[in-house]
Amino acid sequence: MTVLLRLSAGPIGWAVAFCLIYGLHGVGCAHGWDRIELPGGDAQRIVLAAAWLACLAATLALALYLSRDRSTPLGRAVLATGWTGFAATLVTFVPLLAVPTCV
Amino acid sequence: MKALQLHHELTAIWRTEPGWRGHLRSVNHSDIGKRFIVAAFVFFAIGGVLAMLIRAQLATPRSAFVGPEVYNQLFTMHGSIMMFLFAIPMFEGLTMYLLPKMLGARDLAFPRLSALGWWCYLFGGTIIVLAMLAGVAPNAGWFLYPPLSGRTYTPGINSDVWLLGVTFVEISAMCAAIEIAVSILKLRAPGMRLDRMPIFAWYMLATAGMMIFGFPPLILGSILLEVERAFGWPFFDPALGGSPLLWQHLFWLFGHPEVYIIFLPAAGAVSTILPVMARARLLGYGAIIAAIMALAFLSFGLWVHHMFTTGIPHMALGFFSAASALVAVPTAVQIFAWLGTLWSGRPQMKLPMLYLIGFFIVFVLGGLTGVMLAMVPFDAQAHDTAFVTAHLHYVLVGGFVFPMLAAAYYWLPHVTGRQRVMRIGEAAFWLIFIGFNLTFFMMHLTGLLGMPRRIDTYPEGMGWTALNLLSSIGGFLQAFGFALFLIDVVLQIGLGRVHRRNPWGATTLEWAMATPAPAYNFASLATVTDREPLSTQPDLGVRLARGEGLLAVARNGWRETMVIDMTTGAPEHVAILPGNSWLPITTAAMLGGFFLSMLAGLYAVAPLFLPMVAWLGWRWAWTNGYHEDVGPLDAGHGYRLPPSFEAERTTGWWGSVLALGASATLFTALLFGYAFLWTIAPNWPPPRLIAPSLAVPALASAGAALSVVTARQGRIAAALGGQAAIVVALVLLLWWAPAPTGHAYAATSAAIAAYGIFHAGTAMLILAFVAARARAGFHSPARSGEVRIARLWSDHGAAAGAFCAILLVVPGWLA
Ligand SMILES: [Cu+2]
Repeated sequence: MTVLLRLSAGPIGWAVAFCLIYGLHGVGCAHGWDRIELPGGDAQRIVLAAAWLACLAATLALALYLSRDRSTPLGRAVLATGWTGFAATLVTFVPLLAVPTCV
Repeated sequence: MKALQLHHELTAIWRTEPGWRGHLRSVNHSDIGKRFIVAAFVFFAIGGVLAMLIRAQLATPRSAFVGPEVYNQLFTMHGSIMMFLFAIPMFEGLTMYLLPKMLGARDLAFPRLSALGWWCYLFGGTIIVLAMLAGVAPNAGWFLYPPLSGRTYTPGINSDVWLLGVTFVEISAMCAAIEIAVSILKLRAPGMRLDRMPIFAWYMLATAGMMIFGFPPLILGSILLEVERAFGWPFFDPALGGSPLLWQHLFWLFGHPEVYIIFLPAAGAVSTILPVMARARLLGYGAIIAAIMALAFLSFGLWVHHMFTTGIPHMALGFFSAASALVAVPTAVQIFAWLGTLWSGRPQMKLPMLYLIGFFIVFVLGGLTGVMLAMVPFDAQAHDTAFVTAHLHYVLVGGFVFPMLAAAYYWLPHVTGRQRVMRIGEAAFWLIFIGFNLTFFMMHLTGLLGMPRRIDTYPEGMGWTALNLLSSIGGFLQAFGFALFLIDVVLQIGLGRVHRRNPWGATTLEWAMATPAPAYNFASLATVTDREPLSTQPDLGVRLARGEGLLAVARNGWRETMVIDMTTGAPEHVAILPGNSWLPITTAAMLGGFFLSMLAGLYAVAPLFLPMVAWLGWRWAWTNGYHEDVGPLDAGHGYRLPPSFEAERTTGWWGSVLALGASATLFTALLFGYAFLWTIAPNWPPPRLIAPSLAVPALASAGAALSVVTARQGRIAAALGGQAAIVVALVLLLWWAPAPTGHAYAATSAAIAAYGIFHAGTAMLILAFVAARARAGFHSPARSGEVRIARLWSDHGAAAGAFCAILLVVPGWLA
């Protein structure tokens, strides 16, 4: 059971990040956070970027934690899915850097 | 001689009764699996005929073959049948037939549940097809978007046929998902640790998990849309605070994972067949497991790529676009693992291999157009054109039909025990392969030339004429190919020569038995020490038949198989599986009565069927268990293991956990809908909120606390009272709430309350059952598994009920 949890942990980390950031995006657009100007950009983008950085840190820590055992095929699979969680979190939210938020 | 005697004794216990009784009562996984496969092929043929009618209509411009109304039914039914009545049931059937054999077990974990699934599938599918013959088939597209599918634009029962029929069929998918997951986790050969499981089991474990989390949003959406159509609760009506986009979210939240739910079992077949054809070990077992897990999760984050043109903010589109492109990576990992396996071996060009090559070519092309469509600007251009139709057929036919044809040729000798007669299969392959590419490659081009999907006719002079004619010719070539395939299969069943065991030289356990398989699969159960049992122990089948393995006994008329520890594969207890029964078919018939009376608009009659279902469920559970302690059983090789009714964690417990997981997913989807409408939909806030009463949440929470505490102390009556308090609280809340027909807020709130009431009510039923069982002597300190299962349901009912009661009054408090 625990090995199944470890195999799923990385992608679950990404899924949590996805729900959080996509949810924040929807709420922010509904409440007009993108129209609040703050130093460094609009409030919407700053909130989302902060959430992204936090998720990146969390999934990175998770990936490092899951990379300890490389001796067995399942151990290596856990390592791979752990890093998948981090890489997916990195790639999925790249649009944050460039795309307009609520248009 | 012992082998023959054991065979006779086990057959007497496991056999399917002769004649009609056998057809109606069998719960054997081989029977049920074969039925699923045959029925799915019949539906495939029906869907194929519809496709031919579509291609006949589009072969020439300004065709007068069928009118627009019939054409709408044709493409809606083609899509719906291929998805819900062919693809899903086909892999379910293949899995039900194969899985226990591959895992070294005698049956699946819940044999009657597979039978129930079969009957629900058969009845639901029949309703849908009969509706088509009556001319009232669904006609709003296979995704049934409101408002087109709503009362206003589809006043007849066409949409109801889809909503009710498909939901009926989805019951079988949920049964199968739970069945498959628990069987893989718990019913394996001793010693088969997780990292020794056949790769097919990994694929199916991921698929089953995806079904448990992927289907509930669709089931929820179908319930909501049917309730909107039947009773006017405005979930999807923007004038009253609903949103048609909510349907699209719920539908595609199911619909995209669905693509992978279909692809993964097929990929599992590829990963099983390919190494055998290549005479090599599968390369990258661990990497493939990682890819499967990545796919299983990532594919849930892509659903909005079906909604790129609905006006969602660009940044959100960017997230989904990136995730959609990303999902190609784990798919590519598998492709490279397969190519590497071929490279490292000495491939034989046998017939299954030919179909695998067809799979490679077609599926990779489909994947590439998939990455194109994942890019928002390209999708905006190609959206709703024949290009998308072409892409999805490359993915689904490439990713599912070709592997299934390979699987058919690979495992047919196992099912029939016979060899192929003539080389018709090769001719069938070339007809299908050429016909397919002719049909759908051209559709990429017609799509890029601007031809929309779902149009029933087009004028000359658009430049689409020749391409469409070629597509239609290709379509008919394909149809001939599939007809040849069918002839080939029938010939093999009827005329094939009996072959030796394991004709392919495979290494997985399903070949360690006589073919066709005996009803009990293995006369005794294997102990496994590595991933390819038949390569290290080539005589395993014979030794098992001689009774040299575990559980080589026929005692008490019990259907016994081994339950193991999930991770280590150590024997844990002996499952005593139920025998043939009327319960599955009668339960499905009662459910059918419910769905049919809903369809007929007899809304007062429909609920009468539900107590019948509950009563049958009670009978169902009553036949489990045992009325006295028997103590550990001799399992052979020195093992003494408790029977399942004296085990701590039964398969039933795991099945309940998964069922509740599915239910919780449905509830989460409902909460998503509530939040989505609240933030996105027009005409909010609603005219009146639910009164911020304190009494309702207080009563529900007190009931929940009472139930949770007293269930642990074994005071069942008090726990029952706690659940009753929850029901009362939520009914009062509904009573005082604004009418659900007035606004989407009231409708979603009522749906949330209904969820709480349903689960607290179910908990009451289960607690009452446990009380009755205790009085009838079915419980003892050793036989307490049932009580543990009841507690799961009762705790869930308590938590859900209290949460609903609190959640629904919060908006009133805040206002
Ligand atoms: Cu998709």
